[in-house]
Amino acid sequence: MKKILLLISAIAFLFTSCDKDKAKATGITINFTHTVSGAELMTNSMTYINEAGENYDVQTLKYLISDITLHTENGSSLLLDEVHFIDITDESTFSFTYNDVSNNDYTSISFDMGLDTAKNNSNEYVNEDFHTTMYWPEPNGGGYHYMKFEGAYNNDSTFYNTHTGGTMGGDYSFNHVENISLTVDNDLGNVSANINMELNNWYNSPKIEFSSYGMGIMMNMMMQMDIQMNGATDVFSVTIDK
Amino acid sequence: MKKLLYLVLGTILLISCKKDLAPISISGCTDNVAINYNSNAVTEDGSCIYFSSTPFVIEIPYGFPDMQIPSDNPMTVEGIALGKKLFHDKILSGDGMQACASCHLQSAGFSDTNQFSTGIDGLIGDRNASVIINAGWNTSNFWDGRSSTLEDQAFEPITNPLEMNNTWTNVELALNSHGDYPFLFKQAFNINYIDSNHVVKAIAQFERTLISTNSKLDRYLNNEEQLTISELNGYAIFNTEKGDCFHCHSTNMFMDNLFHNNGLDNEPFTDLGRAKVTSNASDNGKFKTPTLRNIEVSAPYMHDGRFATLEEVVEHYDSGGKYSTTVDPLMKKLGVGLQLSNQEKMDLVSYLKTLTDNEFIGSD
Repeated sequence: MKKILLLISAIAFLFTSCDKDKAKATGITINFTHTVSGAELMTNSMTYINEAGENYDVQTLKYLISDITLHTENGSSLLLDEVHFIDITDESTFSFTYNDVSNNDYTSISFDMGLDTAKNNSNEYVNEDFHTTMYWPEPNGGGYHYMKFEGAYNNDSTFYNTHTGGTMGGDYSFNHVENISLTVDNDLGNVSANINMELNNWYNSPKIEFSSYGMGIMMNMMMQMDIQMNGATDVFSVTIDK
Repeated sequence: MKKLLYLVLGTILLISCKKDLAPISISGCTDNVAINYNSNAVTEDGSCIYFSSTPFVIEIPYGFPDMQIPSDNPMTVEGIALGKKLFHDKILSGDGMQACASCHLQSAGFSDTNQFSTGIDGLIGDRNASVIINAGWNTSNFWDGRSSTLEDQAFEPITNPLEMNNTWTNVELALNSHGDYPFLFKQAFNINYIDSNHVVKAIAQFERTLISTNSKLDRYLNNEEQLTISELNGYAIFNTEKGDCFHCHSTNMFMDNLFHNNGLDNEPFTDLGRAKVTSNASDNGKFKTPTLRNIEVSAPYMHDGRFATLEEVVEHYDSGGKYSTTVDPLMKKLGVGLQLSNQEKMDLVSYLKTLTDNEFIGSD
């Protein structure tokens, strides 16, 4: 009888150990959030105003974030996702989870807005969901749109198309780095990082007027550079929830 | 002596009986798991054929994603051949007078040259028949996307009262009592009774092989053929925001698998399009982007076939389109339009005609 009890206890102990092992893995969920002048984005609402004084609404927002990476002080890094596609009409794109973050002291998180030259090639991501939606034609440089940000301005029937990408093959993607303090050890459990895009800041300092877009900005290098500069300055911010 | 007589007579009778049996001794395949099993056969003659369909691998063209093929309907040579036969067979319609191919003509990119197709009872539909070109890459089918797979799509026209107006009971009866089909279905799917599921599976397999990537443009991009100056100008207009065609007619597929309102009408819409499926007002007046491959031969154009020529289509976009609450923001020059010159419009049409694949439409 004692032997049987001992055996049962031993088996129970083994199972418990396994559970503890599983609990050690730390997952990190990356959430993508969107604000306009600090308030949560509401699509199809002509309530926004850019620095040029144009009223606008947001009807389409699709963009690519690449090389989302955690870094440690000693220079090692952990790639969480190579390319993530966000579409404002599809909530399932608003987050992804990396399940097995190794124990470490992470001091910064970085990502690229869009795709750098190495990645931004025609048909590079032919089997990804965004291949058709974000396609950027060869005569314009090939590869993919970094962002499609569209809506109406001034009135319901005048539209702006903020389409950014590798205009004429140039690289207008940019890197965003944010210092964080994230110590992952055996007992941390799951954490999340929120990457917020402040939409209005795409158009502020230098100010960008929709009315100057003409037939579109996909071939307008000066406009791509201005938007890149605005984007790199203050469009993105990151917060960590433990 | 009498006994002897009976014995002789009895023997004669037995011999006669044996002689009577001999003519109905049929030889054939006597193995009941073989696809040509003959239940009347007494003598095995070594003719048995066993189910072993031949897998068919789709060659993915450059710039196309992998084709998503339902796991319960793998492509086989036998399934494709059966689907092709069914697609062209009038047996599927209520009166035996119409096949799928009657309204999906190969010469017209597997669409109808009429604005609306006429069904077996003389009734007409209310949308232009969709093309079947590279349809294996469709993530939804019909102008409103109501069927997610080609299998689901094929269920509809056969029983639609405006189209082939048949019942599946009739279709199954006709096919199961047919001279060839039971064997062909056995060969393709190893089934003994033909049902609707396998009819649409075969048709879908055939449709997945309707791949068009041998147009003049493809040959130009492969450095095998040169475009004219006019076609090259059209190429530039198409692929820049000057014409802004490429946003919806994107990639080598010339479509984006999405739904758009391209400014055809003001509200109220006579056809709600995608919203009929989603019941979402934000989808009012949106229709699935068709591929532009073979667009030259698939007139008339738009979901309702309102434009007879490519010139009319270009004129629509050049005019900028009409405002409605769901019009796509890509139609960014509403009421103003693209402002193309007459030459530029001609160039754009010339370019669109480079998407014709003569081999595909069967004119080579």
